[in-house]
Amino acid sequence: MLKIANFALVLATLGTASMLYKHEHATRGSERELAREKAEIVDTAEAIKLLKAEWSSLTRPERLQFLAQTQLGMVPMTPDQFVDENELLAKLDALTTSSTKTPANPIDDVLKKMQ
Amino acid sequence: MMEAPVVTITERKRGLGGQNRIRLLGLVFSLVFTIIGLQLVRLTVFKPEDGEAKRIAASIERIPRPDITDRNGTVLATDVSVASLFADPRKILDIEEAVELITSSLPDVDAKDLYKKLTQPGRAFVWIKRQVSPEERDVVYNLGIPGVGYVNERKRVYPQGRLAAHTVGYVDVDTKGIAGIEKYLDAEGAIYTASLADPGKPLSEPAQLAMDVRVQHVLADEISKAIIKFKAVAGGGIVMDIETGEIISLVSLPDFNPNAESKAITKDQQNRMLSGVYELGSVVKAVTFAMAFDFGVINMNSKYDARFPLVIGNARINDFHAQRRVLSVPEIFTNSSNIGTAKMALDVGLENHQEFLSRVGLMDRLLTEVPESAKPILPKKWGRLVSATAAFGHGFAVQPLQGLSVVAGILNEGKMVPPTFMRRSKEEADVLGKQIVKPAVAGYMRELFRLNATDGSAGKANVPGYRVGGKTGTAEKVVNRRYSKDHRLASFIGAFPMDKPRYAILVMLDEPKPLPETYGFATSGWNAVPTAGFIIERIAPMLGVTPVFTEKDREALAKRAKVKKG
Repeated sequence: MLKIANFALVLATLGTASMLYKHEHATRGSERELAREKAEIVDTAEAIKLLKAEWSSLTRPERLQFLAQTQLGMVPMTPDQFVDENELLAKLDALTTSSTKTPANPIDDVLKKMQ
Repeated sequence: MMEAPVVTITERKRGLGGQNRIRLLGLVFSLVFTIIGLQLVRLTVFKPEDGEAKRIAASIERIPRPDITDRNGTVLATDVSVASLFADPRKILDIEEAVELITSSLPDVDAKDLYKKLTQPGRAFVWIKRQVSPEERDVVYNLGIPGVGYVNERKRVYPQGRLAAHTVGYVDVDTKGIAGIEKYLDAEGAIYTASLADPGKPLSEPAQLAMDVRVQHVLADEISKAIIKFKAVAGGGIVMDIETGEIISLVSLPDFNPNAESKAITKDQQNRMLSGVYELGSVVKAVTFAMAFDFGVINMNSKYDARFPLVIGNARINDFHAQRRVLSVPEIFTNSSNIGTAKMALDVGLENHQEFLSRVGLMDRLLTEVPESAKPILPKKWGRLVSATAAFGHGFAVQPLQGLSVVAGILNEGKMVPPTFMRRSKEEADVLGKQIVKPAVAGYMRELFRLNATDGSAGKANVPGYRVGGKTGTAEKVVNRRYSKDHRLASFIGAFPMDKPRYAILVMLDEPKPLPETYGFATSGWNAVPTAGFIIERIAPMLGVTPVFTEKDREALAKRAKVKKG
């Protein structure tokens, strides 16, 4: 009787021990993965920062102004380019009668030049 | 018979002893098992020592320095990770070969110099090249030279370069803030910096400035053009939101490159808008007018006799554009009459004049987040002559930003909001605002400012549609302790749109020279004012100010269009 009980207890101990070990192993694995993911987040965040800095450097107003003026022939905005919505129709009529041809898209020209 | 009891005794003894021993053993075993069991539970079920967390924390090292962005989120300063290559000469097998390999992949490393460094006896650590690009790092690392490796270092970069250099400031090699907002983040603003950091995340929120880089660029562009055109030695400008005190833009030229290795900032490159004090000249008259209105000494219909110079003791105060007649208040403003303004200040009285200047803060150093700031230079003793000359800006010098903030305060219905370089909401500004003059005074001042742009000396800043108003000032600079007729400081302080002023602007040129096209004049109206006009025309659409045209504006626009075509 006692022997059977002892045997059962030993089995139970072994069983729980192995279960604990399995869970523990799985946890360790998850933790490692978590650490890896966290490191990846840090790396990606770092990369995003670098790209943002690069973007900021590439969109410097000074550079954009130079490109807009030399490549696209753009000029700073003047107050007369603002048109009140009530005067819009009159202004549009004046524009369409004076120049029937639509102006060429400057970006197309730039793209052609680049080809 | 003798044996039996002995046996029984020993047996009994043994039996008893055995039972005790078994009990003891049992106790010990169960104790040990319990300990093992508890230990098992502790190690597995409960969280192990936070070793992982520690490892991640170690890779972050410290509270990260926040990025600095402008009001639209454009990055002005950020940390990037860069590799630095080093070598342990003791581990390199063939130094000559290593030098050859390294210099062939990094052409800018001097072979002789590197050889010398690597052959020094007893050295265990030599930098090959610091802060290399990721490509360079990979190339050298893939050479597979034993003893050569790299470490990652943090480097502060300023993607916008010179553009916001004076406001943002810079850091030293250990990324410690040395100037500007960078210094503020380490010093007075440390609590603010800490509030940006999220303890759970390796990166912190960016510190957002009030600056708009687009407006900043326009100021830098137009002012540098003006400096070249008028051969000025320096220049600067500020754009400020009147309602919130936010500094949208601050330019001081010459500037510096914060990305340069050595930042030996010369005196010439200092932030003139904050750490320089200048006699702003006639723009100070605006303050005197507001004072006279506030004390009820004048109204719009008051008149002052400007026929003769004002004589105080043995000093004579004269007008630059002498009218030699009795002038009304608006005329004194648009003609910038020294005599009239001085008489106003005398009518206000010495005590009141001093009280007013201290009320608007012109007696104290103006403090903002940017640590560089200069104390105003004021006359030590106040007398009638001092009061009269201070009324038109002589003998007292202030930071340009301070002058602008007072004018902005007067125009903001008399409520002065302390200027700030950081984002600030209207609600926060309302709490901080301080009433310096009665709201009615703001109305009179708006009228005078606008009049000066339509009919006065600030005409060249009157961009059609944007309702600009302003006051010009041309001060003679003190050269060798005397006022010099040939060294001038031209300035313009204005605001727009004048019907409800939202943005205050200051433009300053140091020693502009007369040009043939300015008919030999070098006064503010010919240089600082048109520059301000060019700036306003470009920034008003960015700031969301829509033009409203009067008939006169339309005529002016039509004329401009003709000039362009012709």
